Amino acid sequence: MPEPDKALLRKAVARAVAGLTATGRLTIVEVAADAMTVFRIHRDDNGRPRCHYWSLSWGDLTSEHGWGDESPRQAVLRAADLPSADEVVLVCSFPDGAEASRVLGWLSEERPAAVHPVDGPVTAIVEDVLASDPLSRSYDLVVMRADHPSGRLRLGSKQLFPIGAVPGTRAEVTVRCEPGDEYGTAFAVVTWQGREPRLLSVHSARLTPGRYLLTAELMRPGKVRFTGLGELTRDPRDWSDLVAAAPSQLPPRTGPAHLICAVEVCGPDAKVEERLSRVRQVVSFLSAELAGLLRVSLVAYGAHSYDDRSQGEHPVEVAAWQVAPEHALAALEPLEERGAITEGYPYYPHAAQLEDMLDAVARRLSTSEHMRTVLLTVGDRPPHPVRANRSLILPCPHPHDWQSLLSRVQRRPDTLLAAICDRRDASAHPAWRQLGADAVAHLDALDIRGLATDLGLSAPAALPIPFPLLDETE
Amino acid sequence: MQSDPAPGPPAHDIAMWGAPGSGKTTLLAALNIALMRRKDDWKIIGSDAASSDYLIERTNALSSGRVFPEASQSLEHYRWTLVGPTERHKRRWWRRLRPAPPLKIGISMVDAPGGLFSAAPLRTGNGSGGVDDPRRRLMDNLVKSRGLVFLFDPIREFELGDAFNHLHPPLTRLAEKMLETGELRDGKLPHHVAVCITKFDDPRVLETAEKLNLLDPAPDDEYGFPRVSSEDARDLFRALCEVSASGNADMVVNALDQFFDRTRVEFFVTSSIGFFVRPQTKTFDWHDYQNLLPEAGKDLRIRGQVHPINVVEPMLWLGQRLASGGSR
Repeated sequence: MPEPDKALLRKAVARAVAGLTATGRLTIVEVAADAMTVFRIHRDDNGRPRCHYWSLSWGDLTSEHGWGDESPRQAVLRAADLPSADEVVLVCSFPDGAEASRVLGWLSEERPAAVHPVDGPVTAIVEDVLASDPLSRSYDLVVMRADHPSGRLRLGSKQLFPIGAVPGTRAEVTVRCEPGDEYGTAFAVVTWQGREPRLLSVHSARLTPGRYLLTAELMRPGKVRFTGLGELTRDPRDWSDLVAAAPSQLPPRTGPAHLICAVEVCGPDAKVEERLSRVRQVVSFLSAELAGLLRVSLVAYGAHSYDDRSQGEHPVEVAAWQVAPEHALAALEPLEERGAITEGYPYYPHAAQLEDMLDAVARRLSTSEHMRTVLLTVGDRPPHPVRANRSLILPCPHPHDWQSLLSRVQRRPDTLLAAICDRRDASAHPAWRQLGADAVAHLDALDIRGLATDLGLSAPAALPIPFPLLDETE
Repeated sequence: MQSDPAPGPPAHDIAMWGAPGSGKTTLLAALNIALMRRKDDWKIIGSDAASSDYLIERTNALSSGRVFPEASQSLEHYRWTLVGPTERHKRRWWRRLRPAPPLKIGISMVDAPGGLFSAAPLRTGNGSGGVDDPRRRLMDNLVKSRGLVFLFDPIREFELGDAFNHLHPPLTRLAEKMLETGELRDGKLPHHVAVCITKFDDPRVLETAEKLNLLDPAPDDEYGFPRVSSEDARDLFRALCEVSASGNADMVVNALDQFFDRTRVEFFVTSSIGFFVRPQTKTFDWHDYQNLLPEAGKDLRIRGQVHPINVVEPMLWLGQRLASGGSR
């Protein structure tokens, strides 16, 4: 039994659409009883077939001069524009009509092609063909891939549907979702043109962080539906917005750490009390954050005495060295009870034994230890220089060079410098910029989590990762 | 305090001159300490009870570590006499051994803060408005003296820059007086001037001298203190003037050149308190030489022993120049 005209036409259109290249054009001209309709089909940047069509009635063609004139012919050929098409399909749905025959004759003269008879609307056939067109490019889901040793994040893709996939195809992907950005987590589908991704669609959802089995279904070319994620909403961002939102690093993983708290215990009583209180807060916070991975040292330093007739110096005091946080907090108590020391004559009022503290710390720090070490200095006075200079601050009596000692500490592997300074940036002595080279905070406005995060001792409260994570090692 | 061993007024007068707070009082106290350490019989003696008391008070303050006593709030005029050693003549057969009278140099200082030497009107402490009297007294003092000690505080000049303001007005009036009395010599004032650059112990001054290679080794100095010779002191003075806060310090140099014969002007780099030396080493230490120790607030105290530098030399230079009649 021969195939009906409709089926034959559908097959011809489908074959012609499938053969469309990225830049190719297909023209279908349907000649009916009273008009002709031109369908122009091409592929867009994502390889999806796109169709535009328009009609021209016989009445419009002959309103002025009738069929005898040359102008209807030219109008028909101009409207069909057959020379610009790579492939032409002619369809006739009213073969008995004189006008239709005349027009088909003009078109065939211009571009010889088989004429497909059909007895129904061509529009439905074209729409059906386009909706079921197999993919000419693969469809990929945009994901982030993590390199765990370095913590680096890369933006990449995971194929959902290969070339040739037809609507109705399903694909499953397991992804991990972290807290997203203001849009939540973006599920973006791209195609590739060479090495360049072309964004096809992007939908977002605010998801609870965790692992998700994602099902993607190809509804038709250009439309992918995700299930297993809850409600997705259309995301207005373009590709450059999405790329800009992608972080480059995973949140830091916190490991064992040695926190050295060096506190200036000279100056006004209230300041000393506040500095010690900040140290207690930092130790308590990190103790909870790092559980059993934190070791703490506690060093107190005051002011030098330059009067040989007086009882002499109050030396730098190492109250605890690399002990458990609870022991460090216990060692903090006597310092809190004692309060400020080395105040008034004969103690120097404008600088402190910072350089002696650095010497004490540098001598105790082992170079063979592989643990993140943070020297957190809390105070505000400058160090004494190693020799008399224009600062007019008397040189260290011992004499320690604070700059070389600080460099020595800083050069140690995985060692960071942090400071909590009483003074704001502008009024603090330049030495405090170096003491707080990796993180600096003000005594009155201390964001402990922020400080700890800057030092890699605590994960940030939420580092947004606005794409699904594909962890191929898991 | 000793009494004047030789009756009669000193043969020559030196007036101390400088901006308020430039260290006149401290220099005087340092002079007393330095003279007592020299053991060559030069001494400074008050010419009246008030001046003696003032000298005792300031010397004790300085030697006990208290520095820079507050300048008085009312006008005070002090006079001292620098008395030199008695010179013994060789015995001649026709005459008995007779000591020559010691050289005596009068030193006067009119001490009043806030602009006695400046162009601004002066109010005296009792508020009675006696503006002219102290200026007249100052002017009489300057006219009468033939030796001037002009104190230039480089740190004050760096921070305030007012040396010219305190030098130029009285200098102009002095020239006017001397012109009236016909005492100008070749259009210049007849005075000898010892310009004392003070605060040599301050790192900013010492470092400037070091940077300009103006420091002389001092092998004969028991502490090994660095020094700047009088020949090089003028260069240091110019360099320090370049960092004046007001930018007017170059006019100080020009004013001195305009009003005084250059051969009558000598520069001295001085320090009233000197450099710190550790009692154990008794040697100048380039790493740690500051002799001022800050205390809470703005108070300062002297850290170690006072070792005045170059405070006697300007007086003796003036004394010698005046005694020799001024020729060089």
